[in-house]
Amino acid sequence: MRLLVVEDNDELAQLLTQRLQAEGYESDLVTTAAEARAAVEVTRYAALVLDLGLPDGDGLAVLREIRQRKDPIPVLVLTARGGLHDRVIGLRSGADDYLVKPFAFEELVARLEALLRRPGQLLGRALQVANLTFDTESRQAYIDDKPQVLSARETAVLELLMRRKDRVVSKKLVEDHIFGLSGDVASNAIEVYVHRLRRQLSELGARVQIHTIRGVGYLIAEEKSD
Amino acid sequence: MIAKSIFSRIIFLHVIALLITAIFLPLVLYWFVKATADHVHRQAMREQADLVAGYLAARPDGGLTLDLPPALQAFYSPAYGRYAFAVLDDTGKVLFSSRAEQAPIFANDPRTFGIAFLEAQRGNAEVAGVSMEHEVGARKVWIEVGEDLAHRDVIIDDIVADFKRAGFITLPMLLFLLGVDIIIFRRALHPLIEASEMAAHINPRRTDVRLPPDGIPKEILPLVQAINQALDRLEGGFRAQREFTADAAHELRTPLTILRGRIDTLPDRTVAKALHRDIEGMARIVSQLLDIAELETLSVDAQDRADLRAISCEVAEVAAPLALAQGKNVALSGADAAVWVRGNADMLTGAIRNLVENAINYSRPTTTVEIVVDESGTVRVLDEGPGIKPEERELIFQRFWRRDRRRAGSAGLGLAIVQRVAEAHGTAVGVEDRPGGGTIFSLKLVRADADQAVPGAVPAACLGSVTRTASNQDTHNDKK
Repeated sequence: MRLLVVEDNDELAQLLTQRLQAEGYESDLVTTAAEARAAVEVTRYAALVLDLGLPDGDGLAVLREIRQRKDPIPVLVLTARGGLHDRVIGLRSGADDYLVKPFAFEELVARLEALLRRPGQLLGRALQVANLTFDTESRQAYIDDKPQVLSARETAVLELLMRRKDRVVSKKLVEDHIFGLSGDVASNAIEVYVHRLRRQLSELGARVQIHTIRGVGYLIAEEKSD
Repeated sequence: MIAKSIFSRIIFLHVIALLITAIFLPLVLYWFVKATADHVHRQAMREQADLVAGYLAARPDGGLTLDLPPALQAFYSPAYGRYAFAVLDDTGKVLFSSRAEQAPIFANDPRTFGIAFLEAQRGNAEVAGVSMEHEVGARKVWIEVGEDLAHRDVIIDDIVADFKRAGFITLPMLLFLLGVDIIIFRRALHPLIEASEMAAHINPRRTDVRLPPDGIPKEILPLVQAINQALDRLEGGFRAQREFTADAAHELRTPLTILRGRIDTLPDRTVAKALHRDIEGMARIVSQLLDIAELETLSVDAQDRADLRAISCEVAEVAAPLALAQGKNVALSGADAAVWVRGNADMLTGAIRNLVENAINYSRPTTTVEIVVDESGTVRVLDEGPGIKPEERELIFQRFWRRDRRRAGSAGLGLAIVQRVAEAHGTAVGVEDRPGGGTIFSLKLVRADADQAVPGAVPAACLGSVTRTASNQDTHNDKK
């Protein structure tokens, strides 16, 4: 699985490619918008990691061109901006996800994995939080490498949460995902599933915690050791 | 200071000018008419004197004869009474006269040089006329011709008398002129009014507006051009500021990212974790500094609308992992549906995010920071922190103010940002004690009508970024 990294800062670019290599991703590195344009035209990459601040132009322009060609390549935007004004520009220009510098490299890897595991993409490895893993192909959860039995809906909730570990998954998204748009959902149905899932994971010895962000949604994270 | 309208100023000065004209114009005209009448009269008298002189003849003995034709005799007859003449010699003795008493017409010494215009009183009558020096043979005589003004040429008198009445017509005419002028001024000022309306729309985010020079009067054009040039410089300044912010963001955040990546390779995880926290603190200060710099280039447009609930939800999503990392939590309550307010969504997001982050940092572990969105357009952030003493409530909004200067990862900029955003929205940040301990910060905004809602003005908050995948690409493009 080959990635294209577009980053003009040499040191950061080296760190990125090294880290990606350690995670099993081969990556090509270019430092300008012109090189990026040329690279995506000749090679088919699994995903594009794009810094917006390039010496010969705005990375957003490259992104727009790619989207105008109807190229569905997943794009993860890296931006130093993320200010009051340009927070959402990247997403509106067709980025699949974005990270504001300084980001944690593990976050970058996790987001890339989430992008690459979408339908139609090559299958990546399992999702992991602490000793809990989830194989997205077989839709099977493991705790300490032991397969666990969960109901279909609990499995669906768990997958959704694990795809976005350490980030909030809105309650609305969980509802849509579990019941679809047509389903008539009891107001506390999601809470019931989450509660059940939380209790089961705890009983099975998973060192994870599903937090409720009241009024907003849910978040799965590694259980705090302290 | 109340600015006077240029229009009313022009009209006011114009009315004064018209009043002065209305008073002086008839007076001057009256004087002219009267002067003309006098001139005509004198001319007539002089011609009569010349006529009489023509009939004077010298006798061989040195005496004089005056042989007037009958028509002229009748003209000067006392019976007609209107005109009279007298011929005086150089001693003042009357040689000939149309009057029976053979007296001079003018009482004062008539022996002037050349011609003199004189007036005299005769009984009730006022007599005006000329005394003209004339030579007949070797003798010098003075011919006096007078007209009884009571019988003066009636037409001239009527013109002068009527003019006094006609003078009053100037007033309505001047008023009519004033009305016409008001219309002219209105039309002349119209491009200026249009230009001012355009100028009212200029703000830091819309510095591309320029005043149209078309139709602007030549006298005011330099002002308009000067304003446009000033706007060019201003726009350049704002652009430079924006570029600075963008460059500074890049230059500050990229090294932090590199630092972070290097720390990841450290074998000692405890040290790495501590360093990560330091970097997060530095990153937050950088963000706040950039936000403050950016706020200088942002302003609220009158048309801006924001969904306060969506913004609060988005902030809660972003802040939740931070809170959980500190063993705390956040929660959103209040309105279930969108709460549209007048305001800039990006700026309000920054303000609420800073309020929430501030509350998270100061609240006790295991507590929850509550974000409450009210239907009326108010958002409140409630914490269970130590509270804020009344004497500190002004200080907390100052830049770089911190209660605890030893606290790492905080520069005391958060509330200054909130304050600046509140000011830009014409409101203030409310601070009050929370019953049972803690603080309530509030931002009260102006509710916008539901029909003014702007779909897509804020990103699909509270739906999570999983929906922002390539399969949903088209929905993002639609929002542009």
